[in-house]
Amino acid sequence: MSESSKSKSSSSTNPSPTLQCKDLHEYLKSRSPQFLETLYNYPTICLAVYRELPELARHFVIRLLFVEQPVPQAVVASWVTQTHAKEQHKACEALSELSVWQEAPIPGGLPGWMLSQSFKKNLKVALLGGGRPWSMSSSLEPDGKARDVSFLDAYALERWECVLHYMVGSTQTEGISADAVRILLQAGLMNRDAEDGTAVITRAGFQFLLLSTAKQVWLFLQHYLHTAEKRSLSAAECLAFLYQLSFSTLGKDYSTEGMSNNMLVFLQHLREFGLVYQRKRKAGRFYPTRLALNITCVKDGVAPLQTAASSGYIIAETNYRVYAYTTSALQVALLGLFTELVYRFPNVVVGVLTRESVRAALRGGISAQQIITYLEQHSHPQMLKSDQGGIRSSSSLPPTVLDQIRLWESERNRFTYTEGVVYNQFLSQAEFNVLRDYGRSSGALVWAADRTRTMVVARAAHDDVKRYWKRYSKAT
Amino acid sequence: MVNVMKGVLVECDPAMKQFLLHLDETLALGRKFILQDLDETHVFISSDIVETLQARVDDLMDQFSFPVHDKGL
Repeated sequence: MSESSKSKSSSSTNPSPTLQCKDLHEYLKSRSPQFLETLYNYPTICLAVYRELPELARHFVIRLLFVEQPVPQAVVASWVTQTHAKEQHKACEALSELSVWQEAPIPGGLPGWMLSQSFKKNLKVALLGGGRPWSMSSSLEPDGKARDVSFLDAYALERWECVLHYMVGSTQTEGISADAVRILLQAGLMNRDAEDGTAVITRAGFQFLLLSTAKQVWLFLQHYLHTAEKRSLSAAECLAFLYQLSFSTLGKDYSTEGMSNNMLVFLQHLREFGLVYQRKRKAGRFYPTRLALNITCVKDGVAPLQTAASSGYIIAETNYRVYAYTTSALQVALLGLFTELVYRFPNVVVGVLTRESVRAALRGGISAQQIITYLEQHSHPQMLKSDQGGIRSSSSLPPTVLDQIRLWESERNRFTYTEGVVYNQFLSQAEFNVLRDYGRSSGALVWAADRTRTMVVARAAHDDVKRYWKRYSKAT
Repeated sequence: MVNVMKGVLVECDPAMKQFLLHLDETLALGRKFILQDLDETHVFISSDIVETLQARVDDLMDQFSFPVHDKGL
């Protein structure tokens, strides 16, 4: 009787989109060709783009690098045997998407490929040397108070946690600038509360917190670059500088000499987020931290920043009690999003998962699955060891807790709402059948009952069905 | 002739549908809002009531849930 509709709009779910983490390739793909053209004026970017290309595409680039005229597409195709046509197609597509090469006609009418002029020139510079020296590589006197790697790691972690901590408990604005808050808001990771105007975390924001640090940084910087123009900074210049940083050495200091005013401003922002360390604003030198170095390896995350979270610290019991062995204020605040905290000791926090606390999280747009994933990801090693009292379960959490969290979510979704238009009082069964069949074939029909000659059509498709009905009535 | 009405189709379990009918009959939300009773699990309601209804159902859920957790205070 009833048709299930594809476009169910259940108003109980939060409409904010799920978070997508693009890598460099996808990020550049989404930008305009003009923007890419400016980017390719920086050798560092060319090198970074080159490194991220598929292997076959890298071969193509090297083969074409010193060819000063367009090469027929047929010739490029002949470099690869037929058995690997798929890989070849993928490589060509990647090169076109990133405007690394363009189509160029060859005298005689054949289509050809030609590397973008600026990309060609600057990749040569990156690979063979030449061009202007990187401004930050100028030699420095040895730093009297040199910082070692462990200091930089601790510093980067502390700064970045400051941003994350603000996201979970925005009451304290210490250590975070209005600028960073604006980026979080614009990125949709936080929302201004309608009543008192304080920033609160969104669904996307919670997903953000569950990402690895390298991904978080890269995502955050993407949004920073989007808004860079408003700060009268050039996004291309900033991105080039970021990549320059990512090619630097950890634990080595670099000079700020020769950097433009805009880049000095940008450097201060990076300093705030912990991507670089500077002892004083006017120190004239800075140390890149691991956060900056990891920008290029978002996918595999080589040498990730060691956090306390990397070893599990949460124990969840069947009586809904949650014990978290942590000293980090950030982790406590995160846990506080969906549990009711009961006790707090120097190294342990005890909370209870209650219907109220979980519902508050659900209302804030956090899904049950996200809560479960978080608890599982940070399960104490002891939880992973213990068998579930004979109950087979793929999760490290007690089944009672797992089910209850899901039930609390589903009790909020007892209705599904579909915006629609109801059609009734048909004069004949034949007329009803015609319209019902049309609705069914066009996918507009949501629900229909033959006996009462009633049908419901999705709101968006109403005009289309109406037109069809008018044509049909005229014809008969 | 065909009659056309705009609104929102609600799909739910039979028990919840009875609750909707009850709300409609007793004017609990201040007015009638069910445009057409379709079948056991479907009703067609006016679209401007959805938010009020959602809040009302949340209240209902609150009424028949009891805190079972031992907070150990």
